[in-house]
Amino acid sequence: MKEVLRVENLKKSYHKNEVLKGVSFSINEGETKVIIGPSGGGKSTLLYCINYLQKPDSGEIYLDSELITPKNIYEARKKIGFVFQYFNLFMHLTALDNVMIGLIKVKKLPKDEALKIAKESLLLVGIKEDLWNHYPAQLSGGQQQRVAIARAIAMSPRIILFDEPTSALDVELIGEVLQAMKTLAENGMTMLIVTHELEFAKSVAHEIMFLESGVIVEKGTPQEIIEHPKSERLKKFLSKIAKGEE
Amino acid sequence: MSSFEIVLFKYKDFWLMGLKYTMLITVLSILIGIVLGLLFAIMRIYGNKFFKAVAVSYIDLIRGTPMIVQLFILYYGLGSTGLVKFTPLQAAIIGMGLNSGAYQAEYFRTAFLAIPTGQTEAALSLGFTRTGLIFNILLPQVVRIVLPSWTNELIALTQYSSLAMVLTVMELTAVSKYVGSKTFLYIQAFSLAGIIYLFVSVVLTRLMVYFENRLSIPGVSAQKLRI
Ligand SMILES: Nc1ncnc2c1ncn2[C@@H]1O[C@H](COP(=O)(O)OP(=O)(O)OP(=O)(O)O)[C@@H](O)[C@H]1O
Ligand SMILES: [Mg+2]
Repeated sequence: MKEVLRVENLKKSYHKNEVLKGVSFSINEGETKVIIGPSGGGKSTLLYCINYLQKPDSGEIYLDSELITPKNIYEARKKIGFVFQYFNLFMHLTALDNVMIGLIKVKKLPKDEALKIAKESLLLVGIKEDLWNHYPAQLSGGQQQRVAIARAIAMSPRIILFDEPTSALDVELIGEVLQAMKTLAENGMTMLIVTHELEFAKSVAHEIMFLESGVIVEKGTPQEIIEHPKSERLKKFLSKIAKGEE
Repeated sequence: MSSFEIVLFKYKDFWLMGLKYTMLITVLSILIGIVLGLLFAIMRIYGNKFFKAVAVSYIDLIRGTPMIVQLFILYYGLGSTGLVKFTPLQAAIIGMGLNSGAYQAEYFRTAFLAIPTGQTEAALSLGFTRTGLIFNILLPQVVRIVLPSWTNELIALTQYSSLAMVLTVMELTAVSKYVGSKTFLYIQAFSLAGIIYLFVSVVLTRLMVYFENRLSIPGVSAQKLRI
């Protein structure tokens, strides 16, 4: 199987606070991997370091076996989709234009081609034509997040990173976003997802990694991690989630 | 003919000339101010240490000194060195443009900072360069946010353009003084100037509100305003 992303010994500190203490893992084409872990454990920082929204202190990141450096980062970012906790749609653009702008301004596609791709992407995540001309402020949170997912997939990235994509949503809106992500997984998209939706993780993840205090404490299949956790810390974390505390 | 009519009709051409210069100075200086303001705001937010220092010094210097002193330096000061000799009108437009630039730099800066950083992260994650980000994502929103400030600036410059009279530009205030001295109808002449300023300011304000409404986007600009 072809390897899409490899992270090697990634370290990152904010001032004296070491947030990532040497994280390594890799993801193959078509795989979905889920990261879980307590608040402040470095999950967001890990994702932000992968596409250099935060600059790693040391370690290597390979995309399709090519080392990511500050020099090729703009090329690399085109191939790494990112879906944020708070959607981060462009407020001055309609749903359709949010998806099109990267295709036109970054990929330099002709307008009609961009339009075609944007429409397909929106339909894939269940955003129908009646919402295409709505501005972000006129969409529900669940709709905004699905537009954000469409914006990411329209660029045909090699991998998409998700940072707690449903944690800012009301309970009744979580399902539609998870459903969109499931569709992507079924279509063979490679994904790295930070989430605490364990049922969802069980159904789509090839592997779950437990990140705590900047290290991957344990990793394994959803079965192993959720049903048969080994470390005390993971057991504690899972029971907290079950109680709704994380 | 009433005294008011004498002041108005006998000196109609003077009033028209005054209005022309007032508008010319106002519009050109705000345009210069927009270009400079955007430039200095971008330098201050996104520039390296050097550009930041240049922008901050400029803004401090201009905002910390009276506009009339700046105009004197530009016209009489520079003129006396023999290096550059501006006409009074040029000096007024350049001086007020440089002045407006410093204030507008701050309007622009607060507008840039008002846009949630998440949008910057999203744009970068799509592969936008910094320039692409500024011009395609941030600027269209910044313009909508600064529109009300431009209205303010436009009206302020309309009034401040009267300072050009000290450089002997025949703008509205200079015309009213001239007409007053010719007819001895000072009250009528100055009142007429005031009425014209008021009219211009109100028209400009309404025009800007129209643009604010035209460009308004839910979640970016203020809700639709009623004229
Ligand atoms: N920009 C920053 N500057 C300084 N410290 C930061 C910054 N971003 C994160 N941190 C710190 O780094 C640590 C890890 O933060 P991070 O956001 O990666 O955690 P997380 O696992 O995503 O947590 P959560 O589940 O709450 O989102 C925290 O202690 C946080 O305070
Ligand atoms: Mg986080």
